[in-house]
Amino acid sequence: MKRKLKLYLPFINAGMQETATYRVNFIFFLLGEALACAVSFFIWNAVYNSGGENEINGFSFEQMVVYIVLMFLTNGIIGSDASWSVGEEVRDGTIAMRLLKPVSYNSTFLFQEFGNKVLTEIVLMVPLLVIAELVRWLISGAVAFSVVRFLIYLLSCTAAYLINFFFNICFGFLAFVIKYLWGANMMKNCVVGFLSGAIIPLAFLPAGLRTVILLLPFASLNYTPVMIYMGMYSGIETLWYLGLQLFWMIAFWGLSKLLWRLSVKRLCVQGG
Amino acid sequence: MRKIRRAMRIHRIFIAQELKRMMEYKGDFIVGVIGFLLVQCSNLLFLWLIFANIPSLMGWSLDQIVFIYGFSLIPKGIDHLFFDNLWNIGYFIVRKGDFDKYLTRPVNTLFHVLVEKIQIDALGELIVGIALVCVTLPRLGVEWSVLKVLLAVLVIPFATLIYTGIKTVTASVAFWTKRSGSVIYMFYMVNDFAKYPAAIYNEVVKNIITYIVPFALTAYYPALYILTGENPLFNIGMTVLAAAVLMTLGVIVWHRGIRAYESAGS
Repeated sequence: MKRKLKLYLPFINAGMQETATYRVNFIFFLLGEALACAVSFFIWNAVYNSGGENEINGFSFEQMVVYIVLMFLTNGIIGSDASWSVGEEVRDGTIAMRLLKPVSYNSTFLFQEFGNKVLTEIVLMVPLLVIAELVRWLISGAVAFSVVRFLIYLLSCTAAYLINFFFNICFGFLAFVIKYLWGANMMKNCVVGFLSGAIIPLAFLPAGLRTVILLLPFASLNYTPVMIYMGMYSGIETLWYLGLQLFWMIAFWGLSKLLWRLSVKRLCVQGG
Repeated sequence: MRKIRRAMRIHRIFIAQELKRMMEYKGDFIVGVIGFLLVQCSNLLFLWLIFANIPSLMGWSLDQIVFIYGFSLIPKGIDHLFFDNLWNIGYFIVRKGDFDKYLTRPVNTLFHVLVEKIQIDALGELIVGIALVCVTLPRLGVEWSVLKVLLAVLVIPFATLIYTGIKTVTASVAFWTKRSGSVIYMFYMVNDFAKYPAAIYNEVVKNIITYIVPFALTAYYPALYILTGENPLFNIGMTVLAAAVLMTLGVIVWHRGIRAYESAGS
């Protein structure tokens, strides 16, 4: 264990330095993302102003604002660029260099990405959670923050990140087939965004469709942790969805290993 | 006159070159277009799901909102189709030192960068935009006059130039900082606001998207004129004015940036 940690520590370090180098870029990128949040805030504001009802599909306006803020945070925590990194390495052949090293291919990416985001996400988390809790407090007049729920949220986020990471590794191997990864990535992000509740809460979907979508791995990404944090799930439901996350995590981990084995056999690096 | 004819000939050659490149990668073309189509579809699904719960959004019907949304995609798509290369300035070209290439050519650098590439993915946006406008327009009971048709068509290139102008100014930042992709991204994201009626925002946001980063002028105001026929002087005139101001600003900042540009060695 200790030996392993020592082995991967440089990857975490490299990830942190990478983020530090491009921090200005990162801040601007974040501001752009925040703008999208602002747009959805105003739209929901208009929706609740024109509907006449206080609650739509189980969400009050206050809960919707909390939902938007938490989606923003959760997206950052569980986001993974692994498909991009893997795809690029397959395309330009640097994957060969990784094959030479006595470390696990997946783990190097995992630790590098962990280093990439650990600082930024902790810095981001505090103000965003304060905003979410302030909104709840301002409108409902009661403090709704629960330490237990927050801890389960963190646990659920970790599971969600791992699902997303392994899913993205699998997707990255598509680079063996599709050359235009940018377009394929956009398609993936769009479909995943919708099915994971990042665009609209899944509670807004028609009942039959919703049942199916909630079982898919994508709902395990953003939706489950956010709903847990907001206290929308009962104890039994929480356990059920955490179990589902565990299932998908193992499934995609296995698939990524399998694809890795198949791909390495097929790998043929051009030039270099 | 001769200058313009030369520029047009160069543009034609570049496009022909791009088309040849694209024929080489037909699969990419399909993936890209479907990708942008999907993005638009998910946004429409969002609107549709919202309208399942409310009769109108602050007095706007679904048809009206979809019309504004569709109209916003047309200038956005045209800019994306022809002038996408500015993103590469912000992300790669300057940082990798590849900008030197443009400086050695006997054409204006900005012109060269703009016309060098076309981004066929944009068809995903353009097709959806035109389709939405065509589907909703007959249902909205708009009264047409010759002037209105003329202004509605005329405003599109100017709305496009608002996009191009904002991208030019923000991409130029790379001449000082080597990398400005995220700056372009941040400003470009403001166009998200433009897809919906400006009336749903508060005064601060409304003023920003009308006067400072004027994306509302690319869709909401022209669409408002088409729908109501009111106030063409502001709804159309401001778009033309903003396009002129932003493009001028873009050209000035670009050329100042080039003077500050130092090639990145590799």
